[in-house]
Amino acid sequence: MRFQDAARDGRAVVYAGIQADPLVARAAASLADASTAQRVLARAVMNGESTDPDAWRAMFPSLFGRGADPATIEQSEAILAAALEVAERGEQVRSQFRGAIVEELTARLLARRVGAPAVRRERRILFDGVHAEIHPYDVTVERDGAAEAWDCKWGARGINADVLHQLDDARTHAADEDGSLRVGLVVFDAERSCAVRLDRQTAPAGATRLIALETLDDLARTNP
Amino acid sequence: MTGTRTVAAAIADALDAYETLAGIGESIDDEWTYVTDLCEAWRSRLEEIAATRDSEILEPTIDGAIDRAIDEIGRISDPHRAIDWLSTFPQVVLVALGDGA
Repeated sequence: MRFQDAARDGRAVVYAGIQADPLVARAAASLADASTAQRVLARAVMNGESTDPDAWRAMFPSLFGRGADPATIEQSEAILAAALEVAERGEQVRSQFRGAIVEELTARLLARRVGAPAVRRERRILFDGVHAEIHPYDVTVERDGAAEAWDCKWGARGINADVLHQLDDARTHAADEDGSLRVGLVVFDAERSCAVRLDRQTAPAGATRLIALETLDDLARTNP
Repeated sequence: MTGTRTVAAAIADALDAYETLAGIGESIDDEWTYVTDLCEAWRSRLEEIAATRDSEILEPTIDGAIDRAIDEIGRISDPHRAIDWLSTFPQVVLVALGDGA
């Protein structure tokens, strides 16, 4: 099993520009230490119609209201500001930013567990005698004997047969080589919605770890 | 200060708005089953809260938060965004009610 940088085609070059945008890093940094409610706020704003911050403050009184402590309000304001900046971009661009933010957030949380040098982005995984997948994995952990491959999705609707097959195939090929590859999906959406989506899939998912919005912090823990 | 709407009444209003949102999402033929299953899963969750907290009177800020969330989904006309909000809206309502997502 070997890891390799993905091909730098036109799409990858454009997307790399979005991944490198300071807004992505700022949003991911604020979300890495956020509560579930603050992550719901980010999800709502980044997919919302309203761009009036007061409307969102009113919608989340536990984060902005008089009962919230100053640290919570300060962090919620940072999340709201970053999310509104994403929302104010055009529909296609906001979609790309959302994806890049989920990937960056995933990378940051994984780095807390395995250290930043082991966490890589946009990598392909090659196996002897197996035709390589064209699509790279969003985030990988590259360590001897404890490799991981994660695909990241903005919403539960992103869970589909293709991604489940790709992850499970990689895990199986690694096992065929007597290697170990943990695979998983990180979905910035509620666990309940992900479960509904997964129920409809016939692709193998039993060995694919699901990290949903409520369980994101598990990425940073010993056994996600 | 207290509001005038009960938890059950607020959730009933939220579910009415949710039904309209589902109608927009259902226009994507390929996602009809997913939309239906998703709505059922979240409707059950909200109804569970309504049954448990039934006649509890909402604080005005929470009452207002739910109305604001209802207003937000009332602005949605794009079916793809509607499907995303079929998952997001119940989470926002549950956060407002302090019941987690």
